[in-house]
Amino acid sequence: MVERKLAIVLLAAVLLGTAGTCQAFQLTDPTGLYSTQIGDHWVYQAHHSTPELMVFYGAGDFELLYFQRLGQVAYPSALDFARRSVELYAGPGGLDQFELVKGFAEVEVAGHKGISCAYSYQDAQGNRLWEYRIFLVLPGQEGFSIAFGDNRPEAASGSPFLEDVLRHWRWLF
Amino acid sequence: MRGKQGYRRVAAVLVLLVVLGVAAPSSAAGLAARFEKTLGAGTAPALIKEYGGEYVLPVQQRLWVEEVFARLVAQSEREELEYSLTVLNSKEANAFSLPGGYVFITRGLLNLIGSDEAKLAAVLGHEIAHVEKKHGVNAVLRQMGLTVLAEVGVVALDFLSAELLRMAGLTLVQVLQAGWGREAEYEADLLGQELAARAGFDPAGAIRLLDALAAADDSEQAMHVFRTHPDPGDRRDRLESKLASYWSEPAVVTDVQVLERLIQCRNSHQHRRTDSKDRYVLEVSGESTAGVTLFDQQTQERVLWAENALVKEAAWSPQGDYLALLVDGQAQGELWVLNRWGHVVRKLERVPGTITAFCWSPDGTMLALEVSGPSGSRIVVAYLDADAYAEVSSGLSTHGALWLQDGLYFLNGENWFRTVPPETVPVQVAEPVPLVLQRKRVLTPTLIKEGSTFRLTRPELTPP
Repeated sequence: MVERKLAIVLLAAVLLGTAGTCQAFQLTDPTGLYSTQIGDHWVYQAHHSTPELMVFYGAGDFELLYFQRLGQVAYPSALDFARRSVELYAGPGGLDQFELVKGFAEVEVAGHKGISCAYSYQDAQGNRLWEYRIFLVLPGQEGFSIAFGDNRPEAASGSPFLEDVLRHWRWLF
Repeated sequence: MRGKQGYRRVAAVLVLLVVLGVAAPSSAAGLAARFEKTLGAGTAPALIKEYGGEYVLPVQQRLWVEEVFARLVAQSEREELEYSLTVLNSKEANAFSLPGGYVFITRGLLNLIGSDEAKLAAVLGHEIAHVEKKHGVNAVLRQMGLTVLAEVGVVALDFLSAELLRMAGLTLVQVLQAGWGREAEYEADLLGQELAARAGFDPAGAIRLLDALAAADDSEQAMHVFRTHPDPGDRRDRLESKLASYWSEPAVVTDVQVLERLIQCRNSHQHRRTDSKDRYVLEVSGESTAGVTLFDQQTQERVLWAENALVKEAAWSPQGDYLALLVDGQAQGELWVLNRWGHVVRKLERVPGTITAFCWSPDGTMLALEVSGPSGSRIVVAYLDADAYAEVSSGLSTHGALWLQDGLYFLNGENWFRTVPPETVPVQVAEPVPLVLQRKRVLTPTLIKEGSTFRLTRPELTPP
């Protein structure tokens, strides 16, 4: 009788445990630059990605995470990289109704200092979007960017999900 | 009537200046450049307006176009000019330049060019070449009946600038509509190709561009690039005939280590045996067979491709994307290129002679053909993406070729020669900006049951 009860409790624990388990998976960049962990409900977008650009969609209609390698850049620092990018996003041919909502701040990604900022703009369908972005100039003058976007203003402050991605971030060089 | 009076006044001042010897050569050259710039700057606004105004490209594309343009301008020789590029908001595929370094390209032509930087370099190089060679300003002066050299004529600029510039501007627009002239276009083609090659772009890009324009011309799109230009076929032939000149002059190989490597490579079979996915293994028989036999590792069966051809030699490209076949044609050897599903995607048809052997370039974009003809055997390089040929053995009689990473080697008598293709450098924007992405919407069809069958409806736009 006791054994049966124990079995039922164990089964329930296993079932409940499985249901609550995070389906996070380990991502290793195909070009061998970084690895991290991508959380539950985020789906890799093969049609949108290239070896230099990894794109993931979240559960929300606008949730977006992407990492981009830009190759060799001439920027002397991440701050110059960020400033120039924001200047072009805000200028002609850039983003509609661009607004810098969070200024440049120093940030560290797995031991490498970068610059973060957040901005808002309007897409072609008229949706207001917010994006948090990190700019990095890695050893060998490699430009790199991490971006997290959504249609909620809270995205400008990142998200617990992004914090988790950054916590698990490892450079493979 | 007013124009004639103007011409007379210009001519009178010119004659006066020449007689008095006012024009010092150095200052005259500076004034000529000033005249060109003023003429171009004065005419540009009206043309920009005519072409729908200035078009602002998305940031990433703008940086790419500007980088290509900057590399070409760095190769120009007229240091007194400052080149500028304007993208015009017109779907018509067109490009032109004005005296003084004003270069224009429409968004329609940029769409046609896509991401092929060699094609873009060909267009922009052509327009820069017009400015370098002063085709515009010379055509204007010629049209105005001024046969006196521009360098002398513009000394009068300070005296009658307003009148001269007004007339010259009107004439420039007229001449631009008609084109700078046949010889000027040929000259701009070749100099543009040379500028592109010097700037590290594939000189075959100009040929690909002409082919793309010709293909678009067949469609409904109005091709104004061709309207004022000479016969495209003739232009293509001239550009193709210059391709070999961008290769290095063949040089005898004397380095013992290199010679040993060549002998080793020649004795070993260098060809790749399978396609890029390692599925189809090429079976080499050593003699001519009907079709080419491959072993499909997935189905564990033999397959026969190009069964109607008598295949003498076959080789996968180094990347395994294409299979080249040397087949017995009706009158001469032919070369067919198959994709990795066995479909013939190209037949090299304009080869000048009989192909006796071939080898792939290391990047899989070209083939070195050993071609025999009345004057002996030569090495002809076939550009697969441009349907163009270049004889690179400089008239030397050849027997045997090897294409290694550091160049194309061929045998002449007992000597190995090496020739190197023009170096191409991919466009790398020095200060790129990251992409800003939005989620894409995907098209998904709806499944409707009809009796015992299912039907797919038209796709419906839904968020992924």
